[in-house]
Amino acid sequence: MYSLHSRLLLAASLVLAGFLGATGLALDKAFRVSAEAAMQERLQSHIYALLAAADEDDNGRMIPPQELPEPRFSKPDSGLYAVITNHDGKSLWHSTSLTGHDIGIAAQQSPGERSFSRLTRADMQLYALAFGVAWEDYAGAEARYTFTVAEDTTVFQSEIDSFRSTLWRWLGGMALALLLAQGIILRWGLRPLRTVTTDLQQIEKGHADRLNGHYPRELTGLTSSLNSLIEHSKAVQVRYRNSLDDLAHSLKTPLAILQSGHADNSDAADASHALVSEQVERMDEIISHQLQRAAVSGRITLAKPVPVGRIVERLVRSLDKVYREKQVTVDLELDPAATFMGDEADLTEILGNLLENAYKYCHSAVRVCVKMDEQVGSIEINIEDDGPGIAADQIDTVLQRGTRMDESMPGQGIGLSMANEIITVYGGQLVIAASPLGGTLLRVSFHD
Amino acid sequence: MHILVVEDETRLREQLRDRLRSSGFVVDVAADGEEGLYYGEEYPLDLAIIDIGLPKLSGIELIRLLRARDKHFPILILTARGNWQDKVDGLETGADDYLVKPFRFEELEARLNALLRRASGWSKPVLDFGPISLDTGKQSITVSGNPVELTAFEYRVLEYLMMHAGEVISKTELTDNIYEQDYDRDSNVLEVFIGRLRRKLDPDNSISPIETLRGRGYRFRLEANAG
Repeated sequence: MYSLHSRLLLAASLVLAGFLGATGLALDKAFRVSAEAAMQERLQSHIYALLAAADEDDNGRMIPPQELPEPRFSKPDSGLYAVITNHDGKSLWHSTSLTGHDIGIAAQQSPGERSFSRLTRADMQLYALAFGVAWEDYAGAEARYTFTVAEDTTVFQSEIDSFRSTLWRWLGGMALALLLAQGIILRWGLRPLRTVTTDLQQIEKGHADRLNGHYPRELTGLTSSLNSLIEHSKAVQVRYRNSLDDLAHSLKTPLAILQSGHADNSDAADASHALVSEQVERMDEIISHQLQRAAVSGRITLAKPVPVGRIVERLVRSLDKVYREKQVTVDLELDPAATFMGDEADLTEILGNLLENAYKYCHSAVRVCVKMDEQVGSIEINIEDDGPGIAADQIDTVLQRGTRMDESMPGQGIGLSMANEIITVYGGQLVIAASPLGGTLLRVSFHD
Repeated sequence: MHILVVEDETRLREQLRDRLRSSGFVVDVAADGEEGLYYGEEYPLDLAIIDIGLPKLSGIELIRLLRARDKHFPILILTARGNWQDKVDGLETGADDYLVKPFRFEELEARLNALLRRASGWSKPVLDFGPISLDTGKQSITVSGNPVELTAFEYRVLEYLMMHAGEVISKTELTDNIYEQDYDRDSNVLEVFIGRLRRKLDPDNSISPIETLRGRGYRFRLEANAG
């Protein structure tokens, strides 16, 4: 759930569902209450109609109604039933519709009182209203009756059901519409964030140097900070490299004076000169090594990808110049898509050292092959020569820092170990093996 | 051979000047890029040694300007950091070789000789003319396989003549390439060198490698061995 979009969508949907659900329940309840009140009203009016239809005999005592006001009372199983009970609970009369059923005898009601209830019988559900009546005859004797009218709930229930289905259909439709609207609002509202993300990807792919789009007020703080961070890290990098350059210059020039200073070739001076020379070389190696190592920047965030092929071509042109006499035949097989995610100076340093090794030790042929596996995002650079090769038991020594395999070739050893060290900083790998050309195969691989 | 050294560090500059002179080169020095550009434009140079980190005008910029002004002499760059980006920048701009500080003087000299030889159109380090063989790498001479000891100046005179074998080299040209500008040109030191060279190379006067063309100069008259 680390997406803003899904977080907002989930939270808003839950609130929406809760709100609409509660609304639905409240409406349902209100409708039911009012429908029951209407039912009670209706039953009451049936009772009044029955009372009005009741007659009296010569003494003024009640005769149950003969002519019924509502035809459903006369029709068996019509769903509308009436019972009149006297004061001791005996059924005095029941409507024709009730024939064959028994709705039981409701509790006696005092005159003027009523009781509304829902009855469950074996074969039906009923709403029943019992109403107490006092009937005074001419002699002034009072007889008490309870009029009970019951109606089957089927009609009532179907009304409720139809209300419910209408209600939930509408609420569901509204929920869908609201969710849709909310989704659209979220997409629209969060679009600037997606723009920033794509713009950052453009920088990572090297298509842009900084975030240049128009961003909403809330994001400009972030984007301008990112821009200044990118610029700052570039500036720091440049300043850092410059001070390393100055340091190298100020340390190495005195060494150069020491190294090339002795014009004296007399035998007496030779021994001390050799000592000085040897120590100067050691100091030089240490300084070179430490400075180069300090200069490696490693993976930089938001760095432009460096095309490997272009670096190889530049180095090959340069080395062709330096090793012009050797007439080296270089076979290049470069994947134009191969890019290195890191600092150009570091890649130049790695490949410069490896290629120079190949040029120095080859007989006459060097082969460079750059491959990229775009699916895994890994690159592999193979540099081969047809020279004498490096013996298997020497490989570790070659990769040791500052080890010199061959004193007659100054600078050898530190180059490969330096390259190896930079490669390691980038999480890559340097493999030294035998080449089919007869010499050394140097294989560098980087993974994303 | 006329060499320009552009290096801002005084000690190193003077050291290089002195040692190159004792190796028989004609050396001019400049302490910054602008001075270097002046020498590069005004003097007929055979080679320039340029430090990359120069004040006023960077080494790279100096090389670019020299090349833009049609100066084609070989250029060797000196770099303190020795990182590949500097080397590649220098070589792409027009330098021919590089050397990382600190370096042995012998290494510098070997590179200079290789560059000078290459600039004269010789692709191999050893020049073979009849029985005379000159190894520009080792700076040694053999005649019929026997080593001959030469002083630095004698070596430079012979190397220059051999690299221009078959051509008539005037005394002025030869002097310019062996002595500093302010040298007394009327002296007969050159004749003395040529005389010594003839005695050392050809003690019994059988091959006569160097001929004198009166009033015009000298010529190395042997033909290069094939292969």
